Amino acid sequence: MATYAYEHRPDHGAKAGVLAYLATSAAVLLLMMVFGLLMRLEQAQWISIGADRFYQLMTLHGAGMVGIAAIAGASVMWHFLRQYVDLSSRIFIANLVLFLAGVVMILASVLLGRFHGAWTFLFPLPGKSMGMWSADAAALFMGGLLVIGVGFLLLHLDVARAIVARYGNFARALGWPQLFGHDDGKAPPPTVVASAMVTIVNVIGLVVGASILTMMLVNLYVPGFDIDPLLAKGMIYFFGHVFINATIYMAVIAVYEILPRYTQRPWKSNKVFLASWTASTLMVLFIFPHHLLMDFAFPKWMLIMGHIIGYLNTVPILVVTGYGALMIVYRSGIRWDMASKLLFLSLFGWAAGAMPAFIDGTITVNYVMHNTLWVPGHFHTYLLLGMVTMVFGFMYYLGKPDHETDDRPIDRIAFWLFTSSVLGFTLSFLYSGKESVARRYAAHLPEWVPYDRIASVFAVLVIASALLFVGRFFARIGLARHDYQRAPLARAATA
Amino acid sequence: MINAATRAGIGLRILVALYLLLATPAARTWLEATMSGHMLVQIPLLAALGFIACRLLPEAWQETLLAAAGGPVPHVVVALFASTWWMLPRALDEALTHLPAEAAKFVSLPLLVGLPLALAWRRLGSIGRGFLWTNFISMLAVLGWLYIAAPVRVCNSYLVDQQESAGWLMVKLAVLLFAGWLASLFVGGHAECGASDITGAKAAGTLGRASPQNST
Repeated sequence: MATYAYEHRPDHGAKAGVLAYLATSAAVLLLMMVFGLLMRLEQAQWISIGADRFYQLMTLHGAGMVGIAAIAGASVMWHFLRQYVDLSSRIFIANLVLFLAGVVMILASVLLGRFHGAWTFLFPLPGKSMGMWSADAAALFMGGLLVIGVGFLLLHLDVARAIVARYGNFARALGWPQLFGHDDGKAPPPTVVASAMVTIVNVIGLVVGASILTMMLVNLYVPGFDIDPLLAKGMIYFFGHVFINATIYMAVIAVYEILPRYTQRPWKSNKVFLASWTASTLMVLFIFPHHLLMDFAFPKWMLIMGHIIGYLNTVPILVVTGYGALMIVYRSGIRWDMASKLLFLSLFGWAAGAMPAFIDGTITVNYVMHNTLWVPGHFHTYLLLGMVTMVFGFMYYLGKPDHETDDRPIDRIAFWLFTSSVLGFTLSFLYSGKESVARRYAAHLPEWVPYDRIASVFAVLVIASALLFVGRFFARIGLARHDYQRAPLARAATA
Repeated sequence: MINAATRAGIGLRILVALYLLLATPAARTWLEATMSGHMLVQIPLLAALGFIACRLLPEAWQETLLAAAGGPVPHVVVALFASTWWMLPRALDEALTHLPAEAAKFVSLPLLVGLPLALAWRRLGSIGRGFLWTNFISMLAVLGWLYIAAPVRVCNSYLVDQQESAGWLMVKLAVLLFAGWLASLFVGGHAECGASDITGAKAAGTLGRASPQNST
């Protein structure tokens, strides 16, 4: 049986490209949070922006949040993966440039072209606007997504190249020799395993996404080339679900890399860990039909597959990662600071956020819950308290002035404010869903408004705490480039 | 024992024979009788013959040809434009009804698609090759959909059922190629060193190193 011992590795500062990714993510995140707040204020009837503007904001909020989740996740993955394999800085920057070009196209399509067909751009909505936006505006939006997709495809091809150059092939990068044979303790580190998984699933998702976007662009100008709406929905959700899932699988690398530095205990690439990532590599490709359970016209086997795999995929990585985190923290004498607290909290957010999806993935529940605010409750918990919190933890880690430096009181207050306000904000969504409040409605019934008002108050507090996190990151961005020890030694290690 | 030059000579003769075989009236009639045979067998075979023939040329010749046109990117651009032309239904009709167009197909596919691709392929690097593969696969699937969903008969020479059949074959081929390409990433190759070696090699140790604030 393999033995694992903690082996200290140098604590590298971030490359300028990583900081550019994080700065972009932070700025767009705050802007999109404000857009989200405006939507909630509209539903709460505290402001009046009108339905058109509401759906424009909803489109920007959805596309923007998915985009920056991917950019932020990619920055975490790239920062740590480059310590094991030889990645290309030029490709990394090219992805950011293409991303920004795509963002400009999307902003122009929504703010100038008034496109508001939601980030899911479900067929045939972009082409059938009933005069509310032009075909050119829809094309600009989908073209923007295509440009962003090309950038990420290049990034993942570079990751694939670098992993294959180092490990020979993806089977080795996923640790299959150790998983299916003798575990000699030489399986690739968790960062490489996670990056390999993300690369495989994202390349597949991006190729499918590029295909449906091109098909819809053709259909936009030559409607005679008809698309089966169910096929389009299946392809869009396959691409979209894989892409957004991959963001948390990239961001969790921060947990695998940083928490061991605080506890001086290794994060083991053992058989259970490897099995969970291999299982999720497959399952994440087949889980998307749980978004199609209300589409009775889909083949029954697909819906059943979505139901079963929706249940199964909740378990492997989440449980293994959550359990792994508890094990390396338990009695380690860890010295908690903002980075370690946020990273630990993110695992709770990930676990708590997955549960509403687990429940909604049950066909009988899905029929009554899927079009309610229950589902935004799920993905806001999963992304805000899970994925985004991992990124905040990463930002705090990079900017930590010294391993002995204590957090300022205002940061500690902001941590608890963030935790409680995100919980209040997401529970408002979930409770609204339980009360059958429909989602994607600009105007709410009077009996729904109290929930919207509570959510709006919490949203303001979330933004206030996020503003402090982001402000602290920008204030310390100069430190983030330097190589020095950031994590304090655990008490167990110094005793 | 056969040396490399002799092997290349034999290989080129076989390719010429195959090329001539494809150009015979019988082979042309057979392959061009269906849209699928024309688009998915004859055209790729002609491009493949050019690709393989280029690989059999002496390395120095390949380098000279590559340098003459300015490197790998112009070669890929030429190949993309030439192959795009032969995806157009009108080009297929022209080839079937006008001998000069048929001759142009037999010349352009090996020389303007296969040969430049082969010259550029190695120089593209794995990112460039991966990008070409993924782009080709997604566009093959989209092209297949275009043929399936086309509201009109796109070729005068082929019936609607043939274009639909060709479309479905393109979609299936795209799926198979994608699966094959992905599978190829899971086999072969060799690891540079074990994981522990990597971490060990990277471990230069900054534990305890002064932070920028402390050092100033």
